[in-house]
Amino acid sequence: MPIVQVKRIAISDSPWPWLLPLIALLVVFTIYPLIYNIWLSFHEFAPATRGLKFVGFANWVQLWNDTRFWSALGVTFVYFAVALTLEIILGMAIALLLDAELPGFGVLRAVLSMTLVIPPAIAGMMFLLMEDPQFGVLPYLLGQFGLLDKSTPILATSSLALAGVLIAEIWQWTPFMVLIFMAGLRALPVEPYEAASIDGASSFQMFRRLTLPMMSKVIAVAVLLRGIDLFRVFDYVFVMTSGGPGTATYTVSLYAWQQTFSFLKWGYGATLSLTSLIIVMVMANLFIRIAKVRW
Amino acid sequence: MQQSKSARALRTLAGWVVVGIFFFPIYFWTSVAFRDAKDIFNWPPIIVDFVPTVKNFEQVFGISLGFSFGQQAAVTPGGGNFYMAPRLWDSIVVASMSTVLAITVATLAAYSLSRMHFRGRHEFVNWVLSTRMMPPVAVAIPMFFIFKQFSLLDTYIGVILIHGLMNLPLAVLLLKSFFDDIPAEIDESALLDGASRWMIFRRIVLPMAKGGIAASAVLCFIFSWTEFLFVLTLTQTGLKTVPVVSSTFVTSIGTAWGNMAALGAAAIVPAFIVILLVQRHLVRGLTMGSLKQ
Repeated sequence: MPIVQVKRIAISDSPWPWLLPLIALLVVFTIYPLIYNIWLSFHEFAPATRGLKFVGFANWVQLWNDTRFWSALGVTFVYFAVALTLEIILGMAIALLLDAELPGFGVLRAVLSMTLVIPPAIAGMMFLLMEDPQFGVLPYLLGQFGLLDKSTPILATSSLALAGVLIAEIWQWTPFMVLIFMAGLRALPVEPYEAASIDGASSFQMFRRLTLPMMSKVIAVAVLLRGIDLFRVFDYVFVMTSGGPGTATYTVSLYAWQQTFSFLKWGYGATLSLTSLIIVMVMANLFIRIAKVRW
Repeated sequence: MQQSKSARALRTLAGWVVVGIFFFPIYFWTSVAFRDAKDIFNWPPIIVDFVPTVKNFEQVFGISLGFSFGQQAAVTPGGGNFYMAPRLWDSIVVASMSTVLAITVATLAAYSLSRMHFRGRHEFVNWVLSTRMMPPVAVAIPMFFIFKQFSLLDTYIGVILIHGLMNLPLAVLLLKSFFDDIPAEIDESALLDGASRWMIFRRIVLPMAKGGIAASAVLCFIFSWTEFLFVLTLTQTGLKTVPVVSSTFVTSIGTAWGNMAALGAAAIVPAFIVILLVQRHLVRGLTMGSLKQ
C-alpha cells in the first residue's frame, strides 16, 4: 500500500531511435522490393539484348487471359480452403482430446510438436517416398484396408495429386493448431463450466455455448497465421509434384517462381507474385476487420 | 469434471492412437535413414523388420563411424558420397546469425512499442505485421535482381539479411507481448531515480524478459532452419541449407532416399532438443501472445 502517491511523470522521450533499425530494414527489404516488383511488372526480359524492355500493361493483359494462372489460382484456393478447414477441425478435436492430465499425455504433446521442426521441403520428400506407387508405405496400407488400389500412383493421378500433397500439409500443421488451441483451452476460466455442469448441460452444449465463444480470439489468430502461409504454398508442391500432373497441383507461388526462374519471364513472374500479394493482403485485412483481431 | 474409469481409459487409448498416427511418418523416415537400399525398395514395404546400418550417415557426412549393426550391402541408387557436413554448417551459420539480427532489431523496437505511447502506434504495429503477409515469392523475385546488382547472391550476408527480415514481424509482436507483461511502473520509478531509458532497458527489462527472448529466438532459428524458397532462389553453389540440399538428392538416376533421410534425421534432432528446452514459452510464441485477455 503506497503511502505517498507519486504523480506519474510524462515520458517525453522519442520512440524513433528505438524503431529506426526496424524501419530501415523494413523499408529496404519490403518497400523497395515492392516498388521494384511493380516496376518489373511493366517490363519483360528481352533475350536479344539480355536486358529488360518496357512493355506497358502487356503482362497484366496476359495475366487476365492466362488460363494457367486462373487454374493455379483455383488450385491455391482449394488447397487453402481444404487445408485450413481440416487443420482447424482436427486441431480442435485433438486439442480437446489431449487437454487432460492422463498418464503419458505430456509425452504425447511433446511428440506431437516434433512435426514443427521438420523443414516442409523435407516433409514433402518424406511423403513423396511414402506415397510411391512401387514401394510406398501409404498405398500399401490403404490397399490393405481396401481403400485404394495399391499400385495407384497418387501423385501422378490428377484427381488424387492435390490430396497427396494435402496429406503432407495437414500432417505437418495440424499439430501446430493443436498446440495453439491447447494453450487457449488452458487459459479458459473454470467457473462457467462449473455453473453449466450444475445446470446439467451436456459436454457438447458446453463446447458450443462456452468453449467456442471463449476461444474465438485464439481461433481467429490461428486462422490468420495459417491462412497467410497456406495461400503462398510452395515447398510441398515444389518437391512433391512440381505442379503436375498437368496443372493439377500448380499453385500461384509455384507458377510465379517457374515463370521467373525456369522460363526467364521476369516481368510476368513479378506480375504473378504481385497479384498473389494483393490477394493475400486483401483477404488478411478483411479477416482482421471482421474477426476484430488486435495486437 | 470427474470422468468414469472406462471413459478415462478410452481417452488415453484415443490419445495414443492419434499421436501414434502423427508419429508414424517420423518413425518411418528415421528408420529409412538406418536402412540399406534393399530394405528401402521392398514390396511390401518393410516397417520394422530390417537390418540397421549407419552407412547412410557415413556417406552424407563423409565420416566413418567405425561400427555397423550388420552386414553392409549395395549402395543406394543415385547415391554416392555427398559430404554434407559443410552444408549443415551453412544452415547453422545462417540460422544463428539471422536470429541474432532479428532479435536485436526486434527487442529495441518491441521495447519502445510496449512502453512509449505515440500517435500511430497501433497503425505502426499493423504495418509491421502486414510485411509478414508478403508471399515469399513476391519478395524472392525482386530480391534476386537486387541481390544480383549488389553482388549479394550466394553470400552469407544476403541470406542472413533475408531470413532475419522474414522473422522480424513475428519477433516484434512476440517480444512486445512479453515486455507488456513487465509492469511499466518499474520503468517509471527507475526513470524518477534518474536512470536513462537505455539503462532501464539493459539492466531491468532485458533480464526480466529472458525467457521470452529465448523462446522468440528459438522460433526465429527454426523458421530460418526450415526455410526453403529464399535459399533456393538466392544461392547457387556458394552456400546451401539443409532443406535445399535434401531436395537435390533427387537425381535423374534415382533418389538417394537413404542419404536424404540421414540428413533429415540429423537436421531435426538438434532443432527438436532446442524446442523442448523452451517449450514452456513456445506456445506463447506460436500464438503471438494473443492468449492474454
